[in-house]
Amino acid sequence: MWDHINKALGDGVRRVLQGVVDFLPGLVILLLALVCASMVAWMVSRLTRAVLRWIKFDKRMEALGFDGLADWSPQRSPTLLVAKIAWWLIIMFGLLVGLAGFAADLAAKIVMQSLAYLPNLLVALALLAIGNLLARFLARGALIGAVNLQIRSAQLVSLVVKWLVLVITAAMVLDHMHIGGGIVKLAFAILFGGVVLALALVVGLGWKDLVSRIGSKPTTEQPKDESSTLHRL
Amino acid sequence: MPDGTTLSPAVLERIASLKTTDIAIGIATYNNADTAGQVVETVQAALRDPLAGQRGVIINADGGSTDGTAEKIVGYDAEDAPILHLSYPVLPGQKLAVPDHDVPDKARAVKSILRVAQQLQAKVCVVLAANLRGATPAAVSALARPVLDDQFDFVAPYYTRHRFDGLVTSGLIYPLLRSLYGKRIRQPMGGDFAISAALAAHYLLPSVWGADKGRIGADLWMVTEALNRGFKLCQARVGAMSHVARESSPDLSTTLAQVLTEVFDLTVRDVSIWQRLRGSETMPILGVAQEAPPAAVVLDPKKLIESFCLGHKNLQPVWGVVLPPATMLVLKRMAAGQNGAFSFPDQTWVRTVFDFALGYRLRTMNRDHLLRAFTPLYLAWAASFATEMQEARAEEVEHRLEALCLAFEAEKPYLISRWRWPDRFNP
Repeated sequence: MWDHINKALGDGVRRVLQGVVDFLPGLVILLLALVCASMVAWMVSRLTRAVLRWIKFDKRMEALGFDGLADWSPQRSPTLLVAKIAWWLIIMFGLLVGLAGFAADLAAKIVMQSLAYLPNLLVALALLAIGNLLARFLARGALIGAVNLQIRSAQLVSLVVKWLVLVITAAMVLDHMHIGGGIVKLAFAILFGGVVLALALVVGLGWKDLVSRIGSKPTTEQPKDESSTLHRL
Repeated sequence: MPDGTTLSPAVLERIASLKTTDIAIGIATYNNADTAGQVVETVQAALRDPLAGQRGVIINADGGSTDGTAEKIVGYDAEDAPILHLSYPVLPGQKLAVPDHDVPDKARAVKSILRVAQQLQAKVCVVLAANLRGATPAAVSALARPVLDDQFDFVAPYYTRHRFDGLVTSGLIYPLLRSLYGKRIRQPMGGDFAISAALAAHYLLPSVWGADKGRIGADLWMVTEALNRGFKLCQARVGAMSHVARESSPDLSTTLAQVLTEVFDLTVRDVSIWQRLRGSETMPILGVAQEAPPAAVVLDPKKLIESFCLGHKNLQPVWGVVLPPATMLVLKRMAAGQNGAFSFPDQTWVRTVFDFALGYRLRTMNRDHLLRAFTPLYLAWAASFATEMQEARAEEVEHRLEALCLAFEAEKPYLISRWRWPDRFNP
């Protein structure tokens, strides 16, 4: 009986030691991969930062109309944002390599799923960028137009236009990334409907006098005013 | 015609039967049934009296009127003043962008008029707007005579106007073009002018009148082309003629954007010419001076200042993209009312215009946004001018405008410096 106990104990210890022996190389590989990735990431990050500063990336982005990028960047510097992204991409790559040391199947699965999701992610990013640009463009146009129409709340008009476009963009991005499912669409429909109703009320109430005047021609000739002379060539 | 202008067989037959003429008078129309008939009557009267002895042909180029303008004009056809009717195709988008006193794709209308005038071997081609009010036979003659008698190539109109009428030209277009091209043409975008046969032939050269002339207005391009090529220009006093605004005329910011687009496009195109020019020289003004019409326009500076303050409150981030800090500081003081009576200093106004021209060239933002954001600044200048000139006599107003023009000329080195080194020279 002692023989059996000794054998079972020996087998157990062997299995545990075998497990530890099997696990240790993977752990070492993971740590090694992370250390190497960190070093490479640090170097690439520094290099990216230096190159982007040399080409005045921040100023160029601002000149190209991407100044909103600064709002999303650490220390309001798109250069740092790009450097951080590069850093994290390499760290993720190192992590994947390390995981492959543990279980090749798991890493392959993660890679395949990530690659399958990548197009959605890229399109969503493109949508986000275009939506952001469009929102800023339309908001500026609305602001200038509202000022020229002597609307006192010009900034409010501009803000409404901007957020309307951003909300539509966000809904499209989330839909494209399959996040939230039907809830996003429902929330968007409710929000959009509410905004349109509010705008209809605002326009309707604000312009009721104007609408009532349409169709009724003035009985006497109106005196000339600024509007008829200021833009005559 | 190769550029889409169509001549009906009847017109071709008419050209063949007329063979030649001395004066061709072109009238570009687009839904001008209210005024076009009167303009044609005036032209016919001019051909019968002040221009008697000269054979004349009226050429009507219509941009697709739907109110019976063309039929109305053809109804005036007479043996001593025959009328040729042309139609040219206009794209829907061009109809949407019709400026205040203009016709859609006016460049094409003028080109077709010049072509017919050339076929008829006309010595002079007078082009008149169809929405003229107050035109007289003497005014038509005043435009044609300098070409017929004094061998001028381009005759620009010199209107007699109320001091607050045509402020876009008085305070912006005239001083700017004068400082750029060094020639004092008071109404470079008048819409009524006369052209000699030699200049018409030059315009019609394929290398000159290319595809890029399809802009909203052709007037300014024609003036600058004549100036750049050394043709003889003069101005003719045509009295108190004015252009009737359409009921659906565009708003101020649209008009300003259209006009400034044209001016700034020319500024960009002719940079090698205007950078070499300094000062300005007078252009002959022919005819007898007339008194300005009685005060018919009242400008309320208070409303204009309010518009500027609203713009200043909301558009600072937009203006700040093109205007340097020194200008922004002056604007801030103006909006805060720190200078006593509201006043837009000449130097600041001139630099503002130049900085917007530079912003247009550099495309620092969408050009339409940029030009529309200029509107409150123009209103500020108009308010300042109206405040200062409310009680002024005609001569005082002219002196004031002359001082403004000299400020434009004095500040030209600023424009040149900023144009050459937009990043380095930013006071």
